[in-house]
Amino acid sequence: MFKDLDPILHSQLRLAVMSLLISVKEAEFTFLKEKTNATAGNLSVQIQKLKEVGYIDVIKQFKDNYPQTICKITPIGIRAFEEYVKNLQAYLTQK
Amino acid sequence: MEQEKKLTEQESLHLITMMINKAKESYHDTGIGAIMWGAVIAICSLVRLSEVHFEYKLPFDIYLLTLVAIIPQIFISIKEKKERKVKSYDDPYLDYIWLGFGICIFLLIYISNNIFGEWGSWANEYKNLTGKSASFRFSEYVAPLFLMLYGLPTFITGAACKFKPMLWGGIFCWICCIVAIYTTVKIDLLLTAASAILAWLVPGIIMEKEYRMYKKEQA
Repeated sequence: MFKDLDPILHSQLRLAVMSLLISVKEAEFTFLKEKTNATAGNLSVQIQKLKEVGYIDVIKQFKDNYPQTICKITPIGIRAFEEYVKNLQAYLTQK
Repeated sequence: MEQEKKLTEQESLHLITMMINKAKESYHDTGIGAIMWGAVIAICSLVRLSEVHFEYKLPFDIYLLTLVAIIPQIFISIKEKKERKVKSYDDPYLDYIWLGFGICIFLLIYISNNIFGEWGSWANEYKNLTGKSASFRFSEYVAPLFLMLYGLPTFITGAACKFKPMLWGGIFCWICCIVAIYTTVKIDLLLTAASAILAWLVPGIIMEKEYRMYKKEQA
């Protein structure tokens, strides 16, 4: 019996953001935007969703008088991502 | 990228792999620090070699250039940190390794100067008593110790960043370290210059070139 894939992660942009954040310690919003080719508004909404479920931490600060948003994956996020990949592999192996 | 597009399992796995690779590729050092230190150490060693070979002495110790180079290094580090949009897990460890390396180098200089000072007086006493010069020359054994230290952070950085020119540069330093045990001071200085060029200057130039290409792609 397979577990359902996490609906929060099983979405293109959110999965892309989580895959980027799992590989680094922390990343700026501009970095995520650059790598995912998403629009700022779209990315903000998805980041907010990931933050609400506790998968990522969002730190807003100022750098040289400009606002800066830093995103970081949380331990809950890491566990969810690992679980998602595990389930994904199980589906693919079955097929 | 659309936010709510549902993915097939294959597409998900492909997207994860692609993003992880993109994140890995995003780590680009400017290479300026490596170029500067490679050039500084090579210049110091070659100038010292010319002093020994042509039997002249500069009015100052050429190795003081390494102390002067710390000032631009501080500015380079601050600038690079500010420009970096992403922090990797390795960053703090590598920073500490290079900081520790710098401390070890200055400790080694301090220890060597002290031993050299003491050994000098023993050698003079030996010469006065026996009329013969002591065959052991401490200065000939200093270069391998420095080369051994040069290799360590270079090798670790090369391995951690999967940057082969630096990994091989570190190994080259250790090969030179072994060779330098059996060679004269002149050759030791030449080996030190070669190590600095191959371990830092050349990898630094490659890094700088890659960084410029990356910036061009981003523009």
